[in-house]
Parts: sequence; C-alpha cells; structure tokens
Amino acid sequence: MADISGVPHLFGGENALRDDLKARLERAGLHVTSAIAGTRGAAHALARHGGGIIPDGRLAEGIGPLPISALRVDHDTTEALSRVGLVRIADLIALPRAPLARRFGPGLILRLDQALGAQSEPVAAEPDAPHFGVRMTLPEPIGLQADVMAGLERLLDRLCDKLFATHRGARRLRLELHRVDHVAAQIEIGLARPMRDPVRIAALFAKGVEGVESGFGIEAMRLSAPLTEPLPPEQIGDGPTVGHEDVLADLLSSVGNRIGFDRVLRLLPATSLIPERSFLLAPAAYSEPEPLVHYSGAKRPITLFPPEPVTAASGTPPASFRWRRMRFTTLRAAGPERITPEWWFDDPAWRSGLRDYWRIETREGPRLWLFVTPQTTAGLALPATARAQNWYVQGEFA
Amino acid sequence: MIAPCVQPYAELCVTSNFTFLTGASHPEELVTRAAELGLAAIAITDRNSVAGVVRAFSALKELARLRDEASATTEAAQDGPTIRSQHVTDHSSRQTVPHFTGRTAAPAPQDAPLPKLIAGARLVLTDSAVEWLALPTDLAAWSRLTRLLSLGKRRAAKGECHLNRGDVAEWGTGLILIALPPDPLDDAQPLNTRADLQSLARLFPGQCFLGAAPLYDGRDQNRIDQLAILAQGLNLPMVALGDVLMHRSARRPLADVLTCLRVGCTIDNIGEQRLANGERRLKTGAEMARLFHRHPAAIRRTLEIADRCAFRLDDLRYQYPDEAQDGEPAQDRLERLAREGLRWRYPAGPPPKIVHRVEKELSLIREVDYAPYFLTVHDIVQFARAQGILCQGRGSAANSVVCYLLGITEVPPESITLIFERFISKERGEPPDIDVDFEHERREEVIQWIYDRYGRERAGLTATVIHFRSRAAIREVGKVMGLSQDVIARLSGQIWGWSSAAPGEERLRDAGLSVEDRRVQLAVQLIGEIIGFPRHLSQHVGGFVITNGRLDELCPIENAAMEDRTVIEWDKDDIDALGLLKVDILALGMLTCIRKAFGLLADHRGQRLTLANVPPEDPPVYDMLCRADAIGVFQVESRAQLNFLPRMRPRKFYDLVCEVAIVRPGPIQGGMVHPFINRRMGREKVEDLGPAMMEVLGRTYGVPLFQEQAMQIAVVAAGFSPAEADRLRRSLATFKRMGTIGSFRDRFVSGMLERGYDADFAARCFAQIEGFGSYGFPESHAASFARLVYISAWLKCHHQAVFTCALLNSQPMGFYAPAQLVRDARDHGVEVRPVSVNHSIWDCTLEPRTDGGLALRLGFRQIKGLREEDAAWIAAARGNGYPDVESLWRRAGVHPSALERLAEADSFANLGLSRRDALWSAKALTAPAPLPLFGADGEGGTEPAVDLPQMTLGQEMIEDYLSLRLSLRAHPIELLRASLPESMAHDRLSQASGRVTVTGLVITRQRPGTASGVIFLTLEDETGTANVVVWKKVYETFRKAVIAGRLIQVTGRIERDGPVTHLIAEQVEDVSHLLATLGRPVMIEANDGRADETKRPVGGSIRSTARHPREQARKLFPSRDFH
Repeated sequence: MADISGVPHLFGGENALRDDLKARLERAGLHVTSAIAGTRGAAHALARHGGGIIPDGRLAEGIGPLPISALRVDHDTTEALSRVGLVRIADLIALPRAPLARRFGPGLILRLDQALGAQSEPVAAEPDAPHFGVRMTLPEPIGLQADVMAGLERLLDRLCDKLFATHRGARRLRLELHRVDHVAAQIEIGLARPMRDPVRIAALFAKGVEGVESGFGIEAMRLSAPLTEPLPPEQIGDGPTVGHEDVLADLLSSVGNRIGFDRVLRLLPATSLIPERSFLLAPAAYSEPEPLVHYSGAKRPITLFPPEPVTAASGTPPASFRWRRMRFTTLRAAGPERITPEWWFDDPAWRSGLRDYWRIETREGPRLWLFVTPQTTAGLALPATARAQNWYVQGEFA
Repeated sequence: MIAPCVQPYAELCVTSNFTFLTGASHPEELVTRAAELGLAAIAITDRNSVAGVVRAFSALKELARLRDEASATTEAAQDGPTIRSQHVTDHSSRQTVPHFTGRTAAPAPQDAPLPKLIAGARLVLTDSAVEWLALPTDLAAWSRLTRLLSLGKRRAAKGECHLNRGDVAEWGTGLILIALPPDPLDDAQPLNTRADLQSLARLFPGQCFLGAAPLYDGRDQNRIDQLAILAQGLNLPMVALGDVLMHRSARRPLADVLTCLRVGCTIDNIGEQRLANGERRLKTGAEMARLFHRHPAAIRRTLEIADRCAFRLDDLRYQYPDEAQDGEPAQDRLERLAREGLRWRYPAGPPPKIVHRVEKELSLIREVDYAPYFLTVHDIVQFARAQGILCQGRGSAANSVVCYLLGITEVPPESITLIFERFISKERGEPPDIDVDFEHERREEVIQWIYDRYGRERAGLTATVIHFRSRAAIREVGKVMGLSQDVIARLSGQIWGWSSAAPGEERLRDAGLSVEDRRVQLAVQLIGEIIGFPRHLSQHVGGFVITNGRLDELCPIENAAMEDRTVIEWDKDDIDALGLLKVDILALGMLTCIRKAFGLLADHRGQRLTLANVPPEDPPVYDMLCRADAIGVFQVESRAQLNFLPRMRPRKFYDLVCEVAIVRPGPIQGGMVHPFINRRMGREKVEDLGPAMMEVLGRTYGVPLFQEQAMQIAVVAAGFSPAEADRLRRSLATFKRMGTIGSFRDRFVSGMLERGYDADFAARCFAQIEGFGSYGFPESHAASFARLVYISAWLKCHHQAVFTCALLNSQPMGFYAPAQLVRDARDHGVEVRPVSVNHSIWDCTLEPRTDGGLALRLGFRQIKGLREEDAAWIAAARGNGYPDVESLWRRAGVHPSALERLAEADSFANLGLSRRDALWSAKALTAPAPLPLFGADGEGGTEPAVDLPQMTLGQEMIEDYLSLRLSLRAHPIELLRASLPESMAHDRLSQASGRVTVTGLVITRQRPGTASGVIFLTLEDETGTANVVVWKKVYETFRKAVIAGRLIQVTGRIERDGPVTHLIAEQVEDVSHLLATLGRPVMIEANDGRADETKRPVGGSIRSTARHPREQARKLFPSRDFH
C-alpha cells in the first residue's frame, strides 16, 4: 500500500508508474497484480480482483462489479448478504443505507464508505526498527587499557539505556576500535543470556581489550549489538544484586568466550528407559536448565560409555572376568535389570535384543555395570568360552 | 512346547483387557495360556470391575469341553504335531511360541487339570496408595464385592468408580484381600502405607495378605526382602504375584500402544511409561519359584488362597422375581390369564388343538418354573397398552400360544407352525427369550416404569462391549504411531462401514504409504492386534435383567451415559453363559409410525384401528406389494426386498412371513434364496427329505428359512442332540473367539453325509447356522414382523397421505429420507403443501381438500435447526394468522435466528413474502425480544422499501434443499436435463436395452456383507429411480465416484430379471459439480450424517470443526448408505 499523491507525474502518469513498478518487480522475479484508486479501500478491492486503475471520481463504477467480499468485510456478513441476493458492491450502493446498517451493522457501511471515499483512511509509514549501536570519537588518541575500558563503559551506558528503552537485552556485542593509522581492531563477545547490565558486560570485554594492539593510539570507538533478544524489566528488591542464575550465566559467558559457546554443554533429562538415551547434551548457552524428574528405578552408573566386551567371564553373574586387560573377581552382584529395546525405534546398538544388567562390586575396587544378552546364545549348544562373549561393561559407579 | 512343570502355582493378580486401555490380552487368551502353563488357578482381577470374568469363565468351560472331547476321541490328540516353521522364538520370554496370528490357536489338550478360575477385582481406592486384590471366598463374599463395586460406581460418572478405605472396611468380610502397596524401595510415605495396611489387617484377620510382584528391574531380591520384613511386622503373610498384564510377552508393543492411548501421547513421547520388559506375562510355577526361591512360603500361599476361594461363577443362584400378586401364586395367575385369553381371543370358543396345546405349554412352564418370566412380560405389555403405547412381542419363547393369549404377540398361532420343542425345553436348560418392541419415541416411559416397579437394585440394563473396529483402530493406533492426520484419514476413509479387518497392502499403497517401511508394518500389525479389544462399556439397546433379590449382589451396577439409566457390567453373551433371564425392551420406529397413522385415521376418517383389527388379507394390498410399490413399508422397502417382491409375488400373509425371513444373513449365506424362489415359481421340484424333515420344512418348499428349521436340521439330519444344536448357535461367538468352530463344522457335515444328504446341502445348512449366529430369525419373529409389514402396506395402499404423514412425523426411521417419502406420496397423487407459518405446526398434518381428499401439510420439523419449542409458540400465538415477519416475532416471541430459519425455508410465502424479502425483514430484528418503545405505537417509524434481486428456479430449489432437504418445486435433474443430452430418463429404462447412460442423485448405496463386494446404488431423477449394480472390479476402478458421488452418471448394460431392471455399471462418473451450476456456487459434499456409511467422521480433529454454518448446509442431496 503506497500513497502516491503527487508522484505519478514524475513517472509520466499513473499508467506509466504502474507499468514501471510491474517491470521492476518482474525483474526481481515477482509477478504482481496492482491497482491504483482514489481510496485505500477501492485499491485493496481492485488489487485482489484483477487490478487496474480507477480514474478520479469514478470509484462507484470502478468497484461496483466486484464481489462484496472485496470490501474487507468478514465472511459471515458476505454470506448473509448473499443469502438475500446481494452479491456485488453495486447492489449495496443502490440500497438505502439505514436498513442496511440495521441488519448488517455499521462495519459494512464503514467499509463501503471507506472504499467510496466518504470516510477518510490515511496511509501512514511504519516506524524504523530500533538500531543498537553507539560511537564515540575521542579528541586525543588513547592507548592505555584503562582508558579504553573507561570509554567502553561510557558507550555501554548509552547502549544499555537504548536496550532498556526497547525492553531488549544483547546476546552478542561488537566493539570496534579505530586507530589513528586507519587500522581497526574488533572485539566480539557472546553472552549466555540476554543482558544489559553495563558493569557485567564490561568485565567480559576486559580480556579482549587486553589483546588489542593500540599502535599510535585509538581515536574512535564503536559499540554495537548485532544480536538482541527480548528482556523484560525486572523488579528490583532485596536480596543479592546478582542472582544465582546470573552468576552461572556469567561463568558460561566467560568460559564460552574462551573455548566457544558450542563446547560448553549442559546435561538435560530425557525420558527413555534405554540408559544411553536417558539424557541429552545441549549447548548450555542456548538451552534452559530443566529440573531432574524424580527417578525411581535402579541406580545408574556415574559414567556411561559404549559397551566394552568382557572376556573370560564365568557364570551368571560372572564370578570373575577380564576387562581392559585387568582381572576382576566379583564380590557382590545385584540384578538382573531387564531392559528391552524400544520396539518402535530401530537402534543399531540394541539390535542384539534385550539386555540383563547387573551391578557388580569387584574385590579389586571398581563397581561396574555389566550386561549380558542372554537370548543370543540361548538354545545353542556353545562352549562356555563363547557364551562368555556375551558380557559387556557399560558403566562404572562412583 | 513347555514341559509340564512340577511346581504348582496360582496366579492371583491378572489384569485383562477389560481394564480398558491397560490390559493387553483377552481373558480367553489368559485362561488358555494359564492352562498351557499348567497353573493351578488364575484370578482375573480387573481394576474396579468384574466385566471380564464371565468371558474367562466361558473360555474355561470351552477348554473343559475340548479336553473331554479329546479324551473321548483319541484322534483329537492329533491337533498335536507342531509345525516348526510356524513357531518363532519369543525374545523376551525365551520361549518358543506359535507364530502370532492375531488369534489364539486352539490349545492342545493336556493331561494336567485345567486351572481354576477365581473371579475377583482389583480395588483402586481414592484415598489410599495401597491397592487391594479382592477375591471372594464364597457366594456371600461375591455379593458383598459386587455391592461394594456398585456403591463406588453409582457414586461416580460412567466408567469410573470411587471407593475409599471405609467402604472396603464395611464390605470386606469374606473377601481375601491382598494388598499391593507402593514399591517399598520408592515409597514417599511409608508411614501412611503402613497405617493403611494395618487398619484393614486388624479388621479382617486371616483374610489379608501382602502381595509381592517381581519387577525385573535389578532390585527384586531387595524389594521382596523389604516386603517380607513389612509382612512380618504387620503380621500380613506375603503372597507371590505376577501382576500380569498380558498372556505372552509378544503383547508388549500393544501394551505400550494402549498406554499411549490412555495418557494421550505418541509412541515417540511415551518415555519411561513404556514397559521396560515383557515380564508382566503369565509365568510357570517353576519360574515364579525361582524368583521367590528365598520365600517358598509365598508360592505355597497362592495355592492356599486359591483353595480358600471356593466361589465359582456358576454358583450364582439367580432368583427371578416371583411375580405373585395379591397372594395369587405366579403359576395360578398365569393359568388364569391364559384362560381369560382363550375367552377373548376366541369368542366363538377355541379350537381343541389350541386348548390341547395351551395345556401342554402350561404344564411345561410349571415344570421349569418360568411362569414369573411370562408374567413380567405380560405386565410390561399391559402397562404399555394402558399408556397407549403400541408394542409387540417376538423371540423364541414368544413362539407359543400362551404368549398369544396373554396379548404379548398378535400373530394367531394357527397361521404359523409352532414347533413345541422350540418353545422351551428342560434339557436345553436355556432361559426363555422374549423381545418386546415398543414405539421408539415412547420406549423410555416403559424403561422408567420398569425401574420404578423393581427398583434400581433389582433391575438393570445389560451392557454392550464396544470393541475396537477397523476405523477406530486405524485412527487411534495411527495417531500413536505418528502417522499424519491426512494419512490416517485416507486409510480409514476407504473403509466401508464397520469392518473388522486391518488395512491390506493395497489400501496402504492407495493411501500413499510404503509397505516396506518398518513403522508402517508395525502400525498395521498393531492395528490387526487391537481390533477386537474392548474399549468401553455401553448400554445394550434394551436388555433388562430383573431379579427377585438385589441385582447388585449378582453383579456390579453402574451409571450409564444416559440420564436415569443404570447398567450392569456384563453383556448379553455373559448373561447367557450364566443363565440369567433378560427381557428385551426394544424400540421400533415403525410402531411409532403406525400409532400416529392410526391416530390420524381416527381424527380425519373416524376409523378406529388397532394392530389386531386391520382388515386382513386384502388383495389390493398384495397387488401393490407385487408391483414393488413399497417405499416406506416396514422391512420390505429396502433395495434387496424391492427387487425380491416381484419375484416372490406375495399373495397371502404367510408369503410375507417368508419374505421377511429370506433376505437375511442366514438364508443368504446358506444360499437358500434361489432354491426357494425357483420352487415357489414351480421351476424346480420340491424334493422329499423324509417325513421328519418335511414336517418342519413343508411350508417353505423344503428350504430352511427360519432359525428353528435350521436347528431342526442339525437335530434330525446331522444327529446333534437338541441341546448341542442350540449351544452351537448360541455359543458361535465364543467358538469363533476360541477358534474351535472347525470341529463343529466337520461333525455337522459328516453327520448329514452319513444320513444320506447332499454334501453341498449340508455345507449350506451349516453356513446358514453361522449366519443365524449373528442374527437369528425364528418363524414367530418373522411372523410378528410380517404383521407390521402387512399393516404398514395396508396403510400405504389405502391411506397414502396418512401413511406418509405418520412416516414423516416418526423420523428418523426407515430406509428413505423425507425427500423420497414426499416424492413417493406425490407420485401417488397426494397433494403436498409447503411449510407455512400460518398453517403448519411442528408435526406434519393433514388438511382436508375441497374434493374430500386429504392434503399433506409439511410441518416445522422439516426445517433444519428449528426447535420444537419455537414451533409450539408459533402455532399457539397464531390466532388469525400473521400478516408479516415482525408480527410473528412480537407475538410468538421466538428468537430472530429462528425467524431466519423460517425465512430460509420459505415459510412466509403465503404472506406474499419471497424468501429473500422474508429474510431481509428477519435480519432487521436483531434483539432477542421485542423492546416496548419501538412497537406499533412507538417511535420506530417505517423503513424505506428495498428491492432485492429475484431468485431463479434453480436457486429456489437449492435453498429448499438446504433448509428442508427436499423441494416441492422441481427435481435438480429436471433443471440439468438440457446439459445431460446423453442420459436417458429413468422411466424409459424399462423399455431400453443394450448400453445406456443414466444420471441421477444417489439416494441409497448398499454393500451387503453377503454379496461379496457388490455395491447396489439407487439413482433418482425427475422421472423415477434406477437400480445400478456395481461389480467389484468396476468399483475398484471408480471407487471414489461410487463412494463419494452425489450426482453420478453411470454407463452400462441393461439386464432384466423378471420385472426388475438393473443397470450393470461399466463406467461411473462423479458429476456432482453440475449441481453447483444450479444456484449460487455451493459445493455439494457427500454427507448425510445419519445413514451415510461411507463417510463416518474420522475424529473431530481431522475435519475442521470451524465450519461456517452455511458450509455445513452443503450436505445437500443426502444419500442413505447401508452395508
């Protein structure tokens, strides 16, 4: 929707303007239907029903043949009108208005008037999106780290005010330092949570500023927030000024800025009875912590690894066995915990079928989580050595 | 096979699939498996319910019968050598089992004694985490258990049961109570648990036990030890339990799917709620002993408990109400009533044959002591008569002179063959069976009267178990397995009606699914497994169980979904198995129609008729039926019957009896139709089957049509004992479930062969008995129906206007929609007048014409969406008529939306207001009630007049259909005729030959289950109807047009069968889009919502519910589809 009052003559008339617009859009690969009319309502109606130009003062004829649905009225009203045989806009224009308004409400009349120009409906431009960037040009070049930090603090104050005004917080910040010799240095930091607290953000910049070569001095600084997220204002009350989550977020930010945010992981609970699928690993900065649901089953080992075969196992549960070239003797065993694969999900690791898990305390110290797949050898007359191949270690208890 | 185990064990905690959406095995499967494993006993303990125990009981009886048979004839042991390739190793149970085929194979008889069945329940309390298994030790305890359950169920909504600790304490005497406490290793409130256990243990010393079930989660030893300590501390002996959920671990996937259905998630989100392993299955004693090796007493105690539970379901002594009145014993009263009956039924004195027969019947009734039963039915019928409710009895026991004399049936015993043996017999020990049909609009009065008379504790409706059928199974399992909504819709949309088969490969391909996909395979397998699972209990159409004592001491009573109804937990097969009597209080629309027609005749013609005094054997009536002019006539109006009438050419009442009985699953499956017609028309000789057979088959030309004839053949020709023959029919359902039908068939056929009958005839007779299993049709039954056929045909023949009016006022009923009924009436020269605000009332009425005839005035009930109350106000406030729309609004005080409905139905036409003008005026009235200020003397003022565009004929007609579902103006095809030059008018079909094309609205669509996939369509155009036959192959090609078309064009060959003309379809085209050209562009959609079998809605969520009301109205031109 564009207000083209006073513009067409620049293009050589309305027709030429419309053709020009069409040609340009077609070049961009868009096929459009457009309409020019004296009112917003009429242009809307015509653009959706073939397009064209309605000359000044002939609005009623121009949109008369169009269906009533073109008038931006709801479906119910259109249906109700068609029930009494009123299908086109021309049918409505001809009717006395008071009975019409009585039956179908003022909304219909309003839309009709807007289309016919009896009711004004101005076109207004949309506001620009807020821009999060501030800069500072220094009267004298600076070179000291403390000076840069002081400048950064001033910039941050201004930026955070802007963020506050729009209820947003920064997730990514970029500081550009322009040197006298026209070389620019960039420091970019990420934040684990959206944030607009200047003091805490400044702390995260410290390490980056340290590494900047100032050369003959820095004469201008620019700070921008390329990535922001909504952050509603918080109530300030008693208690510590920096909450527990904020401390964790700061830690994640500082660690993440050093080793990369995708390497700082968080364990999340997952609901599955298959041990290796009973948890999820997610980048900490991009996930919310979830409370651990109450777990009521048998104890799980603290470390879990892909199954490693055990050799020289004897008996069920094995009285002694070798694992990682070490010899173990069973002191105490608890089990079996029988877990079957998820039948609807074809997991290659579980193709061998159900597993009987045993918790085995060894005389040597380690408490291991062993499992056996009994069905693979059941019914086959195999020597005991082959049978022993069925035992695996999958985890170790603390 | 499993080696017979030495360790005896009784499983006391088994959840069957009657704990809906939880248990994953049928009670039959559990019992069979328990017998295979050689368990000493099995208890069926469903959650707050005993709904499944009778099935288990019947299954056990069937197993016992099989074993007896096997020991009698050693050859049956040959069931034996197991075919290895049909067996697979079941991973979870590590046992070799027969490959799963969806049905339990007939179990191989073993020497070990069959397990004992303990009927019990698992009590889940609202105020305690401890659940209790309640196992009754004797009959008194069982009664207390059922009363306890009734108490909980009557308190709660349908399907729920609210019990608390106090209730158990009150009713627990005599019950073995086994506590199932929360897991002691993970109990948040161990003190509460302890207190709960202690309180009951103190109340019922020696009755309470503590159950311990292994979970196989690696902590079993620890758990059992903990429970043993708890048991010691509370002095509750510990008992080993399996907490069984399924009969084999192969049911684990299904159990998970059921869990998903219960909690409402998909299989991918089921998470930890799935079964970790398949160990909740039935196990052998040896395996249980291994698990409880440190507590052998826990195993031993299961047997002690099983021994203490002496209650068996056949101990249920059922006492029928004695029906004595004023000190007169029931038998005396019955005999007195019968004598009175002889006097009023035969004013000229009864024939000696009848008197003799009555004596015989009465003495038999005395012997088996069934007099109260007949009196109950008599009293119910008396009540109905007193209220002016038409009713009529049928059923096997109604097949008697006594019933005729008591006024229960209206069929004179002289007119049919009454086989005395079929009446009731001592040796069969079967309860008598009388069904009574009542007017469908007033049946509720009768039901409430029965509740009032016997009280809620003594009378209850039987239940009907609603099973998963194809459509529901696909929808629900598909959703769980994560198939998308549109795929599910496509899969289930292709199912015709209620089918009970999983979708085949072709269906899957049609729906765009890959057959190789593992998910799809799993889903299909699960759909196959879940079909036949009970889903919930519903109420039976009208089977009442009435007792002398308290009914809730026999079985639990619960609230039905319908207000003021109470239902017991067992269905009719269960009741049968236990020998309980039931009276069927059924609803029949035609009785309503006949009563209304009689009323209209009395009002307009002064003719007072009853069911008994309609002029009999009137030749014009039979002439009409021979012409197949029977739209609206009871029973014979269906497509198959209409085709059959001209061939049958009924000339007397008994012909109608045969006519009614022959187009039924029994005779059709038995291939009896063609021999009957051929012999009747003299094209085939009646072969003599010997005097024993001819006595029964003589009147039907040696062809068995009725149920008792088929049974008699089993006795006379196949050498069954009467009891066996009857059990065969009654227990067909059980036999099919247990897979033991085959042995019966062999015996039947070989029995007939031995006696020199034709093998083909024998096979057909057996097929007929199988057909009767689902829907039995004895002669008296057919005779009762035939009376209604005759009466309705008489009404149609002599009083077409009255008949149509009564039919319209009794809707919904019958085979045809109002549009066809009205059209038929007009074809017979009845003037039909449109709905008018100044003439109509709610019902359709008759108006006298100047020539003395009667015209039919359509009533407001035809207008869609108009309420009866509004119609009453309009009629009451009418006075000298309404001059305009506004006056109707002011005087009748109806809501403006009702005015719009009236306007849309063009009911202001006689005020000179066109449909649009009326709607325009109605639209102006937006306030729900008139405001005083703007009245006639107010300040409203007059509106400027408005000229609205006129409607075309096509538009008017479409609007008629939208609002009334019929149009008196024109037939749609009439307006389309010009654009259908190649189509032949239907009335010219009878002269046509060769290949022709016809076009018409689909009015009925039928696929009889007996016709192997053939579909019968009835098309209608402005000149008449056409019968189209679509063979299976053509149907496959034009599936969509055949199922979904409203207006279709069929090209095919003409085929004649006597006077009936068929069009054998070769090409079918859906031309419904032409209908849209008639008026404004509305899309016509295939739906009636009432009788359309092809388009049952597939779950509310799939079809968008947010439809515009006008779009809803697009369900134009409905067809009635049957299968």
